[in-house]
Amino acid sequence: MSVLSDKNLRGYPMKPYDMVREGLIVFGVMLTIILVLAAVWGFPGKNYGPLTIKEVATKAPVAFLKRTVSYFSGTSRLQTYGPPYTHNDNHAQHIGPFCPNCWVGVIYPLNAKVDFVMQPLQQIAALDPNVATALNTYQNASAKQQTEWNNAYTSALNKAQVTHGRVVLPAGDYGPVPVLMNGMLTFARTGLLEAALTFNTNPNMAPYETNYTRPLLYLGGPIMNTVAGHFDEKGGEWGMSHIAGPYPGAWWLWPYTFLYQIPAIGNSPNGDLIAFLIFLVMLLIAVLAPMIPGLNRIPYVIPVYKIIWRDWYAKYPSGIPSNASRKRV
Amino acid sequence: MNIDKVLQKGLKSFLPLKDDLPTEMPAYVNSFGYFFGTMTLASLAVVFMSGTVLAFFGPDWWHFSSVGQFFNAMHFWSVEVFYLAVIMHLTFKFFKAAWRGNRFRTWVNGWIIFIITIFSGISGTLLQANWDAQWNSQQGKAAFNALGLSWMNWMNYTTVLTLHVVFFAGLILFFVVTHLAFVRSESPVHPIVNGGKGEIDDGNARALGEGDEK
Repeated sequence: MSVLSDKNLRGYPMKPYDMVREGLIVFGVMLTIILVLAAVWGFPGKNYGPLTIKEVATKAPVAFLKRTVSYFSGTSRLQTYGPPYTHNDNHAQHIGPFCPNCWVGVIYPLNAKVDFVMQPLQQIAALDPNVATALNTYQNASAKQQTEWNNAYTSALNKAQVTHGRVVLPAGDYGPVPVLMNGMLTFARTGLLEAALTFNTNPNMAPYETNYTRPLLYLGGPIMNTVAGHFDEKGGEWGMSHIAGPYPGAWWLWPYTFLYQIPAIGNSPNGDLIAFLIFLVMLLIAVLAPMIPGLNRIPYVIPVYKIIWRDWYAKYPSGIPSNASRKRV
Repeated sequence: MNIDKVLQKGLKSFLPLKDDLPTEMPAYVNSFGYFFGTMTLASLAVVFMSGTVLAFFGPDWWHFSSVGQFFNAMHFWSVEVFYLAVIMHLTFKFFKAAWRGNRFRTWVNGWIIFIITIFSGISGTLLQANWDAQWNSQQGKAAFNALGLSWMNWMNYTTVLTLHVVFFAGLILFFVVTHLAFVRSESPVHPIVNGGKGEIDDGNARALGEGDEK
C-alpha cells in the first residue's frame, strides 16, 4: 500500500474487493441506461435544425430586409457593439473601470455594412446587371441622398405587403435601394448568402474557411430573438440552461442562469459581467467550503453521513474501530 | 541521480500496484454513498467513447444518418447522466466531509474537473450545429466577450471542435487521472468520529490498538 493508505488504514478492518469488476458492472449498467435513453428519446436537437438565412428570406422576407437594410444604413446595434468587433468601448460591459472586454480590444474587426452587404452586393452585381446599375447609382449619390433613401426605405418596410413572396412597398422615392435589397433577398433565397459571407471572411482560405462568425452574426438581433422567444430560450427564460423542446439541456448551469432571472441583473447592460462575477464568488465559496467556518460544519449539522455509514456506526458507534483486528496484508 | 529509480521510489510510496488495483477495501466502504463516483467515471467513459465515434464520421453523418443520430443521442444522454452523477458525487462527498485528512487537494481537483467540463459542455453545445448551437453562440458571445474571453473565437467551428475534442477532453482526462491517483493513494476518508465533536476529526482517526486505553 502507499505510505498514506498504510498510515490511514492501520487498524481498520478490511473486506475483499475487486475494483475493476465493480467498475465494469457499473459501466455496463450506465451504458444500458444511456442506450435506452438514446433509443427512446434520440437526440432532442435533431428536431430543431439551424435557422438558415434562406429560411428567413423565404418565410419572413420583411424581417430579412429590415435586418439587411439596418446593416446597409449602419443603424444596427452590431455596428456599435464594441470589442471584439468595433471600437465602441462605451458599449463594452464594464463595472466602473473593470472592463475585461476593453482590455482584449478589437481583435475581430467587423464592418457590417461592408462585410454583410456591400461585399455580397458586388458579387451579386457581377451576376445581375440591374443590381450593378443600382449599386453604381447608389455609390455615386451624395451621403445625404443615400441617407434619405435608406431612411425612406426603412420606414416603408413597416408598411410593406408580401404578395406571392414579393415584397411590395408603398409608393415613394427609395432610389436604387429596393433593387439592391431585392438583390440581397433573391441571393439569400438561393441559399448562397451564408457561403458568400464565409468566403468573404478570407477569400485566400476559400476551401478551408471555417470561421462562421459572419453568417452566425447576420441573423443575430431581432430575428434570432424572435425565434428564441418562441422556444422560451431568452436570457430571462433561463437561456442557455435549456434547449428547444421539452428536453433537459445544460441544467447544471441553473445556478448561473438563475442570476439572469433577477431583474436588476437580467436587465442591466452589464448583466453578463455582473452575473459571472457573482457566479465566480459562488463557485469559490463552494470550492473553499471546507475552509470556511460554518459551511464546513454543515455535514455535522445535517448528518447525512450517519445514513451513508449506518452499517459502520451500528458496529462502531463512535466511528472508530475498537481494536486493531485488521489482518495486515 | 537515476531518474527512473527516483520515479520507481515515488510510485512505490505514492501509488503502488496494490492501490492501483485494490483487492481489499476498508469495511466502511459499504454504502450507496460510494456509488456515484463510479457512476461518474462510467458515464464519462460513455461520453468519451460516443464522442470518439462522432469525431471519426463528422457532422453530416451524426445529423443525417440513423446510426449517426443514434451515436449523437448517446453522446447527449451520456452527458446528462454524467452531470447527474457528478452532482450526486460531490453532494455525497460534501456530506461525508470528504476533504478531511489532507484530502482538500482531491476536493479541489474534483471542482477543477467540474469547471473544465462546463467549458467542454458549452463547446459541445456549439458543435451541435443546430438551432440551439446557433442561439447559444449568440448568447454565449455576449457573456464570453464581457469576461474578456473574446480571443477564443466561439464562432470558428475548427477552433471550437479542436478545443472540445483535444484541449478540454485532454484536460479532463488529465485531471480525472490525477483525481483517481489521489483517491487511491489516500484511501477512502474515514467515517466521522463522535459526530465531529470533542476532538479534531481529521478523517484519519487512528484505530485503537491492543493495549490502548479504551
